Amino acid sequence: MSLQVDKNLLDALIDTETLYQEAPCGYVSLLPDGTIIKLNNTLLTWLNYTTKSLLYKKKFSDLLSKGGKVHFEMFFKPMITVRGHIKELSYEILKKDGSVLPVLLSAKAMKDALGSVMAINMAVYDITDRKSYEVELLKAKKTAEDEKRTFQFLADLIPEMIWTANADGDIDYVNQRFVQYFNLPERNFNLSSVASRIFKEDRKKFLNAWRESIRAGTDLHIEIRLDNYQGNSEWHLIKAVPYINQDGLVTKWFGSCISTEEHIMALKAKDDFISIASHELKTPITSLKGTLQLMDKIKNNHPDPLLHKMIDRANRNVNKTISLIDDLLNVSRINEGQLYLNKKRSVIFDLINDCCSHIKYETGYDILIEGDSSIEADIDEGRIEQVIINFINNAIKYAPESKLIEVGYEKNGQHVKIEVTDKGPGISPEKLFHLFERYYQVKNNSSGNAGLGLGLYICAEIIKKHNGKIGVKSELGKGSTFWFTLPANM
Amino acid sequence: MESMVKRNNVKVIGKGDQVILFAHGFGCDQQSWKYIVDAFTDDYRVVLFDYVGSGKSDLNQYDSVKYGNLNGYAEDVLDICEALELKDIIFVGHSVSSMIGLLAAIKEPTYFQKLVFIGPSPRYLNDADYTGGFERTDLESLFEFMDSNYLGWSSALAPAIMGNPDRPELGEFLTDSFCSNDPVIAREFAKVTFFSDNRADLSKLRIKSLTLQCSDDIIAPLQVGNYVNKHISNNSLFIMRATGHCPHISEPEETIRAIKAFI
Repeated sequence: MSLQVDKNLLDALIDTETLYQEAPCGYVSLLPDGTIIKLNNTLLTWLNYTTKSLLYKKKFSDLLSKGGKVHFEMFFKPMITVRGHIKELSYEILKKDGSVLPVLLSAKAMKDALGSVMAINMAVYDITDRKSYEVELLKAKKTAEDEKRTFQFLADLIPEMIWTANADGDIDYVNQRFVQYFNLPERNFNLSSVASRIFKEDRKKFLNAWRESIRAGTDLHIEIRLDNYQGNSEWHLIKAVPYINQDGLVTKWFGSCISTEEHIMALKAKDDFISIASHELKTPITSLKGTLQLMDKIKNNHPDPLLHKMIDRANRNVNKTISLIDDLLNVSRINEGQLYLNKKRSVIFDLINDCCSHIKYETGYDILIEGDSSIEADIDEGRIEQVIINFINNAIKYAPESKLIEVGYEKNGQHVKIEVTDKGPGISPEKLFHLFERYYQVKNNSSGNAGLGLGLYICAEIIKKHNGKIGVKSELGKGSTFWFTLPANM
Repeated sequence: MESMVKRNNVKVIGKGDQVILFAHGFGCDQQSWKYIVDAFTDDYRVVLFDYVGSGKSDLNQYDSVKYGNLNGYAEDVLDICEALELKDIIFVGHSVSSMIGLLAAIKEPTYFQKLVFIGPSPRYLNDADYTGGFERTDLESLFEFMDSNYLGWSSALAPAIMGNPDRPELGEFLTDSFCSNDPVIAREFAKVTFFSDNRADLSKLRIKSLTLQCSDDIIAPLQVGNYVNKHISNNSLFIMRATGHCPHISEPEETIRAIKAFI
C-alpha cells in the first residue's frame, strides 16, 4: 500500500540551492592547500563576513588561531588526505570582530581517479553551548586530577604501606612505602609476585583469609610476616575494608600493612621475662608453702590466737601467689606450645558440681546448675575445671551484687555447650572484643584489683586445644554470659 | 628482537641491500608514509615503525620518564637498528623525527649513512636572535586544542580514549584510526616536541644530510630551515613547492623525487 503523493509539489518544497545556502550548518569547500572556494550563507552570517572578503583570498586556516592552525596542519590535513574523511574535530573559528565561534568540523575529500585530493568539503556545526559544558567538564577533570595528586602525595607521605585492590582482590595501587619495602621497580611490576613475599608459613593462612574476605565482603584483619627487600621477614598487621558503592556492590578494597614487628618483639621480650621470672619464683614459693603447711600443723601447740591468725593469713596469701605464678607458667607453656591435655571420658554434671560446691563453700554465693546429668565428653578434667572456676570467679569478682550465678550446659549435636551467667552490670561492647586477649584487663571495676589479665586468655587457649569455641554475650545492666563448647567425642 | 618488533610495531618491506628507515612525526604513525613507500620498495629494504605511544606500538611500554625528552625516542631508533642489525642506513625523519634522527646519529654514527629531514626544527619557540615561529601562548592554545578534541566530541579521536583492554571490540576501531593516539601520551609527546631545544646539537652531526623545506609551513618556517642548513655541516637544503607541514602526504611525487635525488 503506497501513499498518494504529489511528487512535483514535494520537490518544489525543497530547493537544493536554498538548502545549501540556508542549511542548519555551515558549509565551506577548500582546495587541498586550504584556499576557500565556496561557502554558504549560514556560515557567513555566523562569522559576519562577506563572500567577497573570503572567497579565493583566504585560506581556511586564516580563520583559526595559532594553536588551531598548528592543529589543522598536524591533524586535519594528514587525516583528510590519508582517510578521505573526518568526523567532528573541534575548532574555534575567528569571527570578523575577533570573537570565536566554537565548531565541530566534519569533512570529506573529493578525489580524482588517481586518488589525489582535488577539493575538501566541510560541514561546520555551531557548538557554543556544548563548548561551555565541555569547559566545565575540563575543569572538573582538572580538579579530579589535582585531587588525585593530592591523595597520591598524602599516601606517599605516610610511613606505612597502603594499597587498593579491585573487587576481585587484585592489587591496583600501592604507595611509595610499599614499593620501598619490597624494593619493587618503579613501574610495570607484577603485583602477583608480591604474594611470594609473604613469609612462607603465613602465606596459606593469609590467602585463605583474603579469599574469605573477598567472598563475604567482610573486613580483613590478620597478622603475618612479610619478607622485606633484604629477605628478612617482619610482622605486619594487614587490614582491608571493602568500598561499597551506591548499588551495594563492593567495587574496591582499601588496605594497609602496618608494621607490628617492634610490638611483637616487645611482647616476646616480655614473655621471655615472665617465663624466666615465674620459673625462678616457683621453687622458693613452693618451699615457702611447705614450711607454712608445716607451721599450720603445729600451730595448735601454741595457744596465742594472734599466731593462728597470722599463719592463716600467710597461707591464704601464699596460695594466691602460687595461683598467680601458675597463671604465668601456663602462659609460658601456651607460648611455647607446651600445653598438653590428658583427656578422659567425664560426666559434665559431676565436673561442674565439684567446682561449684568448692566455691559455694568458700564464698557463700548461690550457684544454680542446670543440665542433663547423663551428658559426657572427652576432656582434660583439670583444665576444664580451671575454665569453669575462672568463669565463676569472674562473675563473683565483676558482678558482686549478683548473688545468683547460673551454670547451664546442654548437648547440641556433636557439641556440649557450657554457659556461666550472672545478673551483674554487663560489659560494654567495645571491651567484649578484647576480653580473651593476653594481658587485657577490664578497668573501672568495683573490686579495684584488675589482676594479670591472663585468666580468660588461658581459658581460650585451653578450649582451643580441645577444638572447642569460646565466647561471651553481654548486655549492659542485664548481665553477662560466658560460654564455651567442647566436642562430645574425640 | 621480537620484543622490539612488537614494542615499535616494526614492519620491514621491499627488496634491496640498502636500508631506508622512515620515522613518522608527532601526531601520526607509520601510515603517514603510505604515499611514498611504494616508490622505494623495488630498490630498497624499507623499515617502518611507530614510536612507543603512537599508532599500534605497545602502549604498556610507554614510560613518561624515558620519553620525557627526545633522547628517549632516539633510543627507540637505535634499538630498532640494533635489533635488526642495521648498518649504514638512510634515515628519513618527518618533523620532530628529524631531531630524533639527529640525536641517534650523533650517539651511534655507525648505523647511519645519510639523513633526510622533512620539515625539521631544532626549536619551535622564539628566542633572542632566533625565530622558531612560536610564542609560548601559541603552544598553550595548541595543547588546549588537543585536550578539547580528545575530551570533547571528536569521534575521530575518541576510539583512542576507548582503547580499553576490557572491551576489545572498541580497540577494533583503533586499527582503522590514523592519528588516533592515546590522549595523555599525545599530550606528553607534544610537550616534549614543542619545548625541545636541539640547536646546540646541530653542529655535532658528522653524517651527510638533506633538509626538505616546504614553502609555506607554519610549523617549521623557512627561517628555521635556513638555520638548520647553516648550522649542520654537510647539509643540503631543498625548498619544495609543496606547502604545509606534510609534503610526503600532500605532495608525495615531489617528495619522492627530492629524496631519490639525494640518496
